[in-house]
Amino acid sequence: MAAFTQQSRVPETGPALPNGRARKDGPAIPRRRSILNLISILSLAGAIAMLGKSSWIMLKAEVSQVLLARAFTQTVATGTPVKPWSWADTWPVAEIRIPRLAASAIVLNGATPESLAFGPAHVTETPEPGERGTSVISAHRDTHFAFLKDVQKGDLITVTRGDGLTFRYAVTSLRVADWNRSGIDAHAPGHRLALTTCFPFGSVVRGPQRFIVEAVMVK
Amino acid sequence: MQSISLPGSAESRIKSLIDRMVAWFLLLVLAVTAFIGTAGAAQLAAFVTPNEMKSGSLLLKSKEGKFLEAPRLGADYTVTVSGPTGRTILTQRFTNPANGWVEGVYVFPLPETAAVDTLKIVSGNRVIVGEVREKQEAKVIYEEAKRAGQTASLLEQERPNIFTNSVANIGPHETVVVQIEYQETIRQSQGTYSLRLPLVVAPRYNPAPIVQTVDFRSNGYGIAVNDPVPDRDRISAPVLDPAKNAPVNPVTISVDLSAGFALDEVTSHHHTVKVETIDDTHRKLTLDTGSIPADRDFELTWTAKGAAPQVGLFQEAVHGKTYLLASVVPPSVAPTGPVKPRETIFVIDNSGSMDGPSMQQAKDALLQGLDTLKPQDRFNIVRFDDTMDVLFNDAVSANKEYLDQARAFVSALQANGGTEMVPALKAALIDSRPNDASSLRQVVFITDGAIGNEQELFATIGQGRGRSRIFMVGIGSAPNTYLMTRAAEMGRGTFTLISEVDQVKARMEDLFNKIGQPVVTGLSATLDGSEAALSPAQLPDLYRGEPVLVMAEAGQLKGTLKVEGMIGETPWSVSLPASAAAQGKGISKLWAHRKVAEIETAATLNQIGTEEANRQVLAVALAHQIVSSQTSLIAVDKSPKRPANMPLTRADVPLNLPAGWNFEKVFGKEVPAPLPPAPRQRDAAADPFMQLAVAEAPASASAPQQVTLPQTATPAGLLAVVAALLAMIALAFRLLAMALTPKHGSPQA
Repeated sequence: MAAFTQQSRVPETGPALPNGRARKDGPAIPRRRSILNLISILSLAGAIAMLGKSSWIMLKAEVSQVLLARAFTQTVATGTPVKPWSWADTWPVAEIRIPRLAASAIVLNGATPESLAFGPAHVTETPEPGERGTSVISAHRDTHFAFLKDVQKGDLITVTRGDGLTFRYAVTSLRVADWNRSGIDAHAPGHRLALTTCFPFGSVVRGPQRFIVEAVMVK
Repeated sequence: MQSISLPGSAESRIKSLIDRMVAWFLLLVLAVTAFIGTAGAAQLAAFVTPNEMKSGSLLLKSKEGKFLEAPRLGADYTVTVSGPTGRTILTQRFTNPANGWVEGVYVFPLPETAAVDTLKIVSGNRVIVGEVREKQEAKVIYEEAKRAGQTASLLEQERPNIFTNSVANIGPHETVVVQIEYQETIRQSQGTYSLRLPLVVAPRYNPAPIVQTVDFRSNGYGIAVNDPVPDRDRISAPVLDPAKNAPVNPVTISVDLSAGFALDEVTSHHHTVKVETIDDTHRKLTLDTGSIPADRDFELTWTAKGAAPQVGLFQEAVHGKTYLLASVVPPSVAPTGPVKPRETIFVIDNSGSMDGPSMQQAKDALLQGLDTLKPQDRFNIVRFDDTMDVLFNDAVSANKEYLDQARAFVSALQANGGTEMVPALKAALIDSRPNDASSLRQVVFITDGAIGNEQELFATIGQGRGRSRIFMVGIGSAPNTYLMTRAAEMGRGTFTLISEVDQVKARMEDLFNKIGQPVVTGLSATLDGSEAALSPAQLPDLYRGEPVLVMAEAGQLKGTLKVEGMIGETPWSVSLPASAAAQGKGISKLWAHRKVAEIETAATLNQIGTEEANRQVLAVALAHQIVSSQTSLIAVDKSPKRPANMPLTRADVPLNLPAGWNFEKVFGKEVPAPLPPAPRQRDAAADPFMQLAVAEAPASASAPQQVTLPQTATPAGLLAVVAALLAMIALAFRLLAMALTPKHGSPQA
């Protein structure tokens, strides 16, 4: 900042000199200056790119849900899976709602990084929602499942499947576990649902911890 | 005038400050690059999914649904060819490198004609023999055994030419030997007999990494636009290269060839072999170099000395029933009447999986095909990757102008993108003259077949084939022969394999010579004098040099097998007395395999419902104990800790190695001593079956099989933070640069 103030005072001092003069006097300074300017420009370009990418992730997450909702409505109407866009490698399988939080999202098939970018996704090796066992649905903590941090015990979760059937679950527990020690048994007795996302919320780095919302089916 | 004098010491201080800042910045860039590079590379290199596997490999289940590959120590193929059938014993040995108990998933290719009937596992010091069960039932038995801590193995069919073997509860540092046996029919065309051992699941030119790259990017490390890591390609290259990702799997192969007739030439097309001549009908072959990496299919062909036998008739009696295999080569008759003009639609696959020599072979094949066209013929070209182009609006006559246009189009093709085969096939099947009997409509489909939606493709052929016939040309070192065979069969054509550039000319000429006109049409077969079920129920038309293959199941074999058809306009028939049939091995298994294929084809053509088809396949496969889409092989070893209450009959083999297990070949000279039994003890506190990732850490209390949860953090936040940091750096450097703007009124002024 010292340099800044020093520079700002310059215009008030004495007559201007052509820049070329100074260059002749000390060639090292201008070379350094151009390096500094170059770094500055590169950094700025990098910053814009990163910001663009960051906004793109959020935008994609929002916009895709609109397309997914349309495809899901069609799925329920026709009874067959409908791809949200022609080149998609996943398709909507369910809609999940938490009425108290007025939250809802379309769930995709297969929790791959690709599908998770567009919406919550059903973990394929677990049963479908509504079936016996524990059905697991995962989504990103900073987009589609950001609302999980507000879920409370006893909250009602409804899941509508592609075949039009709706199942109701009540939240029984909220906990944090490592991704490989989830304690979720896909073939556990009863009809269960688990919503998972990364933990802690608001963190910017990836970590091993997952936030798990467990629920059991209710009438 | 303070600012005008910049004392020498201050100036040098600023200079050195700037130097340090530049250095610091460069260091930061390097560090970020290195971090992104290693994080990305580690993530991609260490783990693979079954789909990415190129050759048979044992994968150990690990974190996040990914698999860690177990080192593979060796594989041995022992093939015995007796006349029209071959039996292969495939033996492989794997070691669990981890300290915990692991489950291995083993993915491997087999010929699409393979009827798999035997599975044996040696785990530590025990031998387990599998048996065929209904698929779901087998899975349940396997899961139960897995939970109970018992060693178990489940062999499932993914595709008729891709199988998965899961092995539960492999002890720490334990060695597992897997042995699979299958029966197949020897392929015969134009007097050449051939045997193919697929050693790779997909062509190695298949850039599966395209998928990985997408993976990578959506994980947030790869910034697609304005890439901050300009050398990403270099950083990522090692993990994108399957040759470096997959370990070298040494393979030994030996073939005992009893052709049943005097042999002329025996050729191994892609590997050098040592040939030992036993007598004029019997040869023994072994790989010359001892062992080879499993990177291309093994292809062996042989021909008969003098006139090739025209007729083959073999039978096998099993469980009170007799099975018959007959092959008849129709006499070659010069075509009568004028040659019909052709309407040939070439379809060429220029998807990414064709990159490298495959693309060149495909282009050469197509150009060769264009050269065979006569002026009265018509043609068109369709090219596809995940997009497609049809060269002309409708088939055009093969004059010079159009041919030149077509050659330029083909020469410019480049391999890129995904493989959307169905739309291209649909486009090729659009026939503007569906009732034109004066010309022959042919679709020549050139591809490596690297797709997973085979059924959809078959259905398209079934619905849309019309008068068109489909000729599949398989390209590359490991084409999907299941797709080729079934598509050609449903399209009433043939299929041709081209593995090397120097085969293109000869094989394409063969193809175009023989497809000018089907030689034999209206074929039918009957077995008089006994109640018999014949397969296939409807015989396909034959092209030059191809045999009629008929199989039959009968209570008691007597009477005559009569094959009738039309060669051109001339009726042709041949009668074979069933009593003349020679003994053949494994014919019942081949009959069952053929029957299953027939039922599945009928289902694809919507002649029977899927459920009905599944029921029929199940019945046939169970009765004949072969692996199919509805049946799996399951082997369970009773835990030594508790009496097994599994509803399984199990054939325990004594500790001596069963016959046919050639340990010297697989293991080298040293026969490993059985591992000490110590790791067998199972602590109630520690879970007997631990995933590899869990096994590395101390075991928690009882942990049933857990669902591993996917990564659910987007890099958006991190990116925003980095963006802010970069913006601050930009500002700082800009200010610094401005500070160095020449000072007005310097002392010299």
